[in-house]
Amino acid sequence: MSRIEIFDGAMGTMLQAGGLQPGACPELMNVENPEVVKNIHKAYIEAGATIIETNTFGASALKLAHYGLTDRMAELNKAAVTIAKAAAQGRAKVAGSMGPTGRFIEPLGDLSFDEAFQNFYDQAKALSEAGADFLIIETCIDLQEMRAALLAAKEASDIPVICQLSYSEDGRTVTGTDPQSAAILLDAMGADIIGVNCSLGPEELVPIVKTLAENCTCPISVLPNAGMPYLKDGQTVFPMGPEDFGKWGLKLLEAGASYLGGCCGTTPEHIRELAKALKDMPLPERRLPAKKLWLTSRSKAVCIDHSLPTRLIGERINPTGRKKLAAEIRDGSLLGVKKEAVNQVKAGAHLLDVNMGVGGIDQAAAMQKAVTEIAQLTDAPLAIDTSDAKALEAGLKAYPGRALINSVSYEPERIAEFLPLAKKYGAAILCLPITPDGVPKTAEERIDVMRKIIAAAKEQGLDDGDFLLDALVMTVSADKNACYEVLITLQMYRERFGYPTTMGLSNISFGLPNRPLINSTFFAMCLAAGLDAPIMNPYDESMQKALMASAALLGDDPNGLAYSKNEANLAVPKAAATAKVTELSPLEAIKQAVIDGEKDEIPALVENALKAGIEANTITEQALTAAMTDIGVDFGAGRMFLPQVLLSAETMRAAFNKLKELTPASTAPEQGTVVIATVKGDVHDLGKNITGALLANSGFKLIDLGKDVDSTEIVKAAIENNADIVGLCALMTTTMVQIDKVIADLKEAGCNAKVMVGGAAVTQDYADSAGADAYAADGVKAVELAKTLVKKN
Amino acid sequence: MPIYNTPLLAIDAKETRRYAGLQKAQDFSEDKILAACQDARLLAQPRSVWEIYDYDCEKQEIQSDPPCRIQGEKIGQHLAGCEKVILLAATVGDDIEEDVTQRFNAGEYSMAVLLDAAATAAVEQVADGLEKALAPKMAAQGFGMKWRFSPGYGDWPLEQQPELIRLSHAQSIGVGLSSSMMLVPRKSVTAIIGLYRKQENSEIKHSPNGCAACSQLNCPSRKK
Repeated sequence: MSRIEIFDGAMGTMLQAGGLQPGACPELMNVENPEVVKNIHKAYIEAGATIIETNTFGASALKLAHYGLTDRMAELNKAAVTIAKAAAQGRAKVAGSMGPTGRFIEPLGDLSFDEAFQNFYDQAKALSEAGADFLIIETCIDLQEMRAALLAAKEASDIPVICQLSYSEDGRTVTGTDPQSAAILLDAMGADIIGVNCSLGPEELVPIVKTLAENCTCPISVLPNAGMPYLKDGQTVFPMGPEDFGKWGLKLLEAGASYLGGCCGTTPEHIRELAKALKDMPLPERRLPAKKLWLTSRSKAVCIDHSLPTRLIGERINPTGRKKLAAEIRDGSLLGVKKEAVNQVKAGAHLLDVNMGVGGIDQAAAMQKAVTEIAQLTDAPLAIDTSDAKALEAGLKAYPGRALINSVSYEPERIAEFLPLAKKYGAAILCLPITPDGVPKTAEERIDVMRKIIAAAKEQGLDDGDFLLDALVMTVSADKNACYEVLITLQMYRERFGYPTTMGLSNISFGLPNRPLINSTFFAMCLAAGLDAPIMNPYDESMQKALMASAALLGDDPNGLAYSKNEANLAVPKAAATAKVTELSPLEAIKQAVIDGEKDEIPALVENALKAGIEANTITEQALTAAMTDIGVDFGAGRMFLPQVLLSAETMRAAFNKLKELTPASTAPEQGTVVIATVKGDVHDLGKNITGALLANSGFKLIDLGKDVDSTEIVKAAIENNADIVGLCALMTTTMVQIDKVIADLKEAGCNAKVMVGGAAVTQDYADSAGADAYAADGVKAVELAKTLVKKN
Repeated sequence: MPIYNTPLLAIDAKETRRYAGLQKAQDFSEDKILAACQDARLLAQPRSVWEIYDYDCEKQEIQSDPPCRIQGEKIGQHLAGCEKVILLAATVGDDIEEDVTQRFNAGEYSMAVLLDAAATAAVEQVADGLEKALAPKMAAQGFGMKWRFSPGYGDWPLEQQPELIRLSHAQSIGVGLSSSMMLVPRKSVTAIIGLYRKQENSEIKHSPNGCAACSQLNCPSRKK
């Protein structure tokens, strides 16, 4: 990067001016009207462009398929390079343009990574074979598409590759990627120039260019639009004129860009002004970022470093020794895995280790699926934990970020297979000091092995910033020096290599009683000795406490502020909760607990009341039923809302269950039998379920027939169960008519049950005209009406 | 028939609260809402699909093959001046629905209702995510997007659902219709988005509040 390079500007609008018809394939001009294309190139070169882009933005096989031109892909790309080179005559370099496919890659869309790869590979091959000087992948909004294209471009040729994403006004791509994560990943994957084009004007791109420049060592390119388009007299207009555009060039240069040009709405005049503004400008000195260990997901970057707080790597996505999780994975279900992902992040994990080591399954397929699903669910970067090279590649390929490989030991197959994969996919490696002879015992021996792993990795092209060193924890009950060696190893790693450190902690306490005590004590010691990113169970409270306390002691939590806040918070709620309940009489306490929905507290309150000699019936009537009455009033008045009422119903249920358990003889008074159903053709059953739940917990015997229930089935159930009430629910105007049918059928069958109806579309008028006995606007009202209906009987 | 499946990195707790009818119950446990949002996220299978068509706003007709005339005055007004329309379908699949039923059976009533609300918030987010992905594409062609309108809003009859299913290719993401014109899975939406040419300094004002077009004035989830 010794000088400023000037790119050309927009191609599409120039082609239209040159006779491209609306709806026609722009790339077809390369063979049908090459002079037009050539003249555009010339105009840009004369304006000062030092790099021109070929007219091949949409010339990949998938894009050409829109015009039925797939089989002319190579021809159109080669013609484009030939034209550009002829126009340049050595005055400018030629960049082969590759635009997006217009489809999203799985799992965001339905295009497979491999299909996308092949699509770009073929185009990259055609462009480079025709003699392009660069490949430029541009206007991408899906990081997976960029990854597929970059891998393809690197495999198809040796010429430099420029990677440009498009960002929206919120500073992220449409699919959520921020420029920092993009820069880190693309740099690690071997992009030669990283940049941004389209979507925004130069002003909005200044901060994005700055972020890119601060997060990678590659030169930065920027090709802004001439502002955002609007329509004037039937023409699409871009608002920024050439002079303003040129002025912004200086700001973009200052922000860190050294390859500058234009995108939509720019013309040779814009490029002329840009070239003029930048002429003879010295390239500002760019402060390149230090090589630190960064890992990224699609939308977040995380750094592991001595200067930063401890990062937790969650270890729970691992079926080893966990029968249920293993069985689930074997059955192809990822629900347990997804739960662990979300819960660990919630518990404070910054990164997630993913291990799919279940015997007898396709490891690669399982890893690919797990990585894909977890990446859609959380933004914590992942560590791919496997000893199977195929599974590793499947995981790395599927991951829209810079992953950590767990792990690379000094065993020949790991060195031979894992390191090239790390380089190819831009992953970092967790280095484990193990040799084919086993685990070296002393710190000095471990350092020795580590040095060999790092040397082998650097030979493959990995560099500082790619390594996380494992101190290797052995069992202290088997080796009294196990802890001591780890502490020395941690210190020596920092002194000798300066790279961040990790380890799995819990092995230390194997075979000892009260393992949490040993583990958390060991953890605190390791943090003091320089441990940066433990692999651990983030749900473990003693470990979290040790971490909090250590952060306060080691200065990561200045003045112990976070520690104090956490400890203070733990003390408050329980005391307040007990104080509230004890002031009330047993019956009042039960009633209040129902109203407050204190489901967990109610069994004890019921038990206390019975112990105090209060009759079961008294509890039911004066506490439980009374509570429901109050709740009905509050609900009707808009002071209480449905989820709260349901929480009270759950509490009632728990109270009834406790009463039944302790006083089996005293049966709760039966209010009557209700048969309830959502009518035929209607699949909405939430309202019906709510009403059923409330009725069942207000003393009614409930027979729930479910949703989409045929009239004959409802009539049959009503007669067989000698129902007092039939409750019918219909949500839509299209299914409401079924109510009329059920009522008619009930009458015809001679059933005397009262009919109560409800549902979003049902009204009092409709209920009346259908001949229903009652209309309930909501579940609470339904309980009230049901009580009246059975009294009338 | 482009497909886009927006990741659900979070489900909007505030919207979940609104759909659960808890707008006024500010003291209702945020932890419970968040737990429901998390469970919904684990069970959701977000999918969306869309297609773009020319639109004749004089005739209220989508220029598909065969063409489709849109019934309803409000939707006609809403799409006035639009040159093209996007037809879309979005869903979170049926696993959440099954879980809601299971929770009712297990006596976890309130969680069932909250999960149902979180699923509603989620499917709206999936559709929002698609709109967000489409906006720059459309803007690059000089188009602004009107807010999405679904059958059942205003006077647009549900009977046009089969046409929306056809035009949006909803079946490719597993969304279909029951005999009574209900979307299956239940937590799905179909909608139309009008595309209008952006004029200088004359951005067409439009309200993104779908509730304003709805006749259910007493709906507990109605936006104020």
